[in-house]
Amino acid sequence: MTIGLPRALLYYRYQHLWNTFFTELGCRTITSPETSQEILSQGIARSGGECCLPEKLFLGHVHSLIGRCDFILVPRFKTAGKNTEFCVRFWGIPDIVRNSFPEAPLIGYSLQEQIRGNERQGFVRMGQFLGYSSAQSLRAYRMAAEEQRRQDELAVLRQQELFSTEGLKILIASQPYLIHDAYVGRPLVRMLREQGGTPVFADRCERSSCRAFAGSISSDLYWVLNQEVIGAIPLMKEKVDGALLITAFPCGTDSIVNELVLRRVRDLPITQIVLDEQQGEAGLRTRVECFMDILSERKRAHAG
Amino acid sequence: MDVGSVSTKGVVLDSNGEIIAAEYLWTEGDPVTATKKTVLSLQKQLPASASIRSVGTTGSARKLIGAMLEADSVKNEITAHAKGTLSRHPDVRTILEIGGQDSKIILIDNGVVIDYAMNTLCAAGTGAFLSSQAKRLGIPVEELGDMALQAGHPARIAARCTVFAESDMVHKAQAGYAKEDLVAGLCDAIVANYLNNVGKGKRIESPVVFQGGVSKNRGVVRAFQAELGSEIHVDADSHLMGAVGAALLSRGAVRAKPFECAIVDLCFQTRAHTCPGCANHCEIISFYRDGVLLDSWGNRCEKGRAAEERKEDYLTASRNTGRAWKI
Repeated sequence: MTIGLPRALLYYRYQHLWNTFFTELGCRTITSPETSQEILSQGIARSGGECCLPEKLFLGHVHSLIGRCDFILVPRFKTAGKNTEFCVRFWGIPDIVRNSFPEAPLIGYSLQEQIRGNERQGFVRMGQFLGYSSAQSLRAYRMAAEEQRRQDELAVLRQQELFSTEGLKILIASQPYLIHDAYVGRPLVRMLREQGGTPVFADRCERSSCRAFAGSISSDLYWVLNQEVIGAIPLMKEKVDGALLITAFPCGTDSIVNELVLRRVRDLPITQIVLDEQQGEAGLRTRVECFMDILSERKRAHAG
Repeated sequence: MDVGSVSTKGVVLDSNGEIIAAEYLWTEGDPVTATKKTVLSLQKQLPASASIRSVGTTGSARKLIGAMLEADSVKNEITAHAKGTLSRHPDVRTILEIGGQDSKIILIDNGVVIDYAMNTLCAAGTGAFLSSQAKRLGIPVEELGDMALQAGHPARIAARCTVFAESDMVHKAQAGYAKEDLVAGLCDAIVANYLNNVGKGKRIESPVVFQGGVSKNRGVVRAFQAELGSEIHVDADSHLMGAVGAALLSRGAVRAKPFECAIVDLCFQTRAHTCPGCANHCEIISFYRDGVLLDSWGNRCEKGRAAEERKEDYLTASRNTGRAWKI
């Protein structure tokens, strides 16, 4: 049995959970390849007019998995704890995929974390659906959850090592599925490195601290993914030289939240960069270069 | 050299930073030729004894022209404009810049750039918009500014989007507004658009310096003055500030020998091809001087130059195997 994992959206958050769960059960997993022009074009072709760029990428990745596996994992995410919500795109993604690809065999679970044990229940049901006993499924889920936790901790530790290095540290406040995407976000990271910057990723900062610190920017914010991203700004502001807010056109939640950040955070140089499916590199490069110039001038002024 | 999408600017500075030669001409979609013309014109203005100690490029074609002229510094427009302007106005706090397709705002504190913004996905509120509307009204774009100053009652034109501004203007024209009033309305619209988009949320402190091609339009200058309620400085060389900044940024470079203007007489060629390395199909531009590869770019991964070298390998290989290279 082969399970296909689309390399998009929350794959970047849950890849170890998913991979470990299915392999512990005895399934094989395949992950769609890194995003390419081809995958993005397929995604655009299959999307309705209202889709955001990350959704288009997701559809492209689903498309690339069709015919290569028995089931494609497309979970539904609603909430993660009390008074939090995922963007409605995450609520609807299984339906969108089902409508765009009626032929695709899907498997999934629905995450409503405020209900205790909800994730566990979802995984056990998936295991049973695939023909495994609930005990086997539960065991696999426990292993998987532990592995994900371990990997998350490791990522945080690895990032902390960066702070002993020289050079400008730039906090990248971006959803992981944007900035770690090979086609959309990674060229930007490469440019930043070419300019001598060390990127520090919001998604590799300690998650519960981020959520707590997000309250200093807005106590009313309930989009959990945005909380985690912007919470990294007050959390890390003493350790970094500046922050880049990365968003994809047209992201509904970012358009509100980033505006809020730009208005409220006054003690750290911040600039917003909007990524887009047809962005030429020149504009991006100018923005990154200029931001780096500002930061190094600032540092020089402070040192002198 | 400041090689922008619409115009190409070049200056030569003496050791005191004064402009001793300057040229401004249209890029016309061919930055290499525009640069050739500019460099040759600069050369003519210089005394025979002059020697050029360093070269800097900026503008959207900075990389291409930087490779062509073997520039000592290749810097983005914002840093270059700030540097150039600070050399003339050391106390400047805000630089407004409206060019052909770009508009920017640069905030400066104590001679250091602290914030900036650029127009994003649309060219509303830039020179390109003014040019196209001038054409529609049958007025040379250079005359728009003076015409706007004669307006008795500027038409109110929607400023949020170029397309709507245009339909609004057509509507006002058909309703019988005088051309002067329409033109003044356009100038107001540019300013409103700029302040709402590029300048959104930025604190505009005096002294304010206005640059870029559109700063030559006195109607727009007046509109800025009225809107901001502060004096707007427009330098006689305001259109050259990017080039001045680029030159200043290159100062201090150590060159083995002075820059030879004759370099532009060599044969420069660009070739585009699609990298077959992966499914991204990057369009790679390779830049040659007299048939020798100077640089290549446009790739999303590190394969750029390598891809080009592989292409050479492939060409050799395909000569042997008879298979053709797809360009």
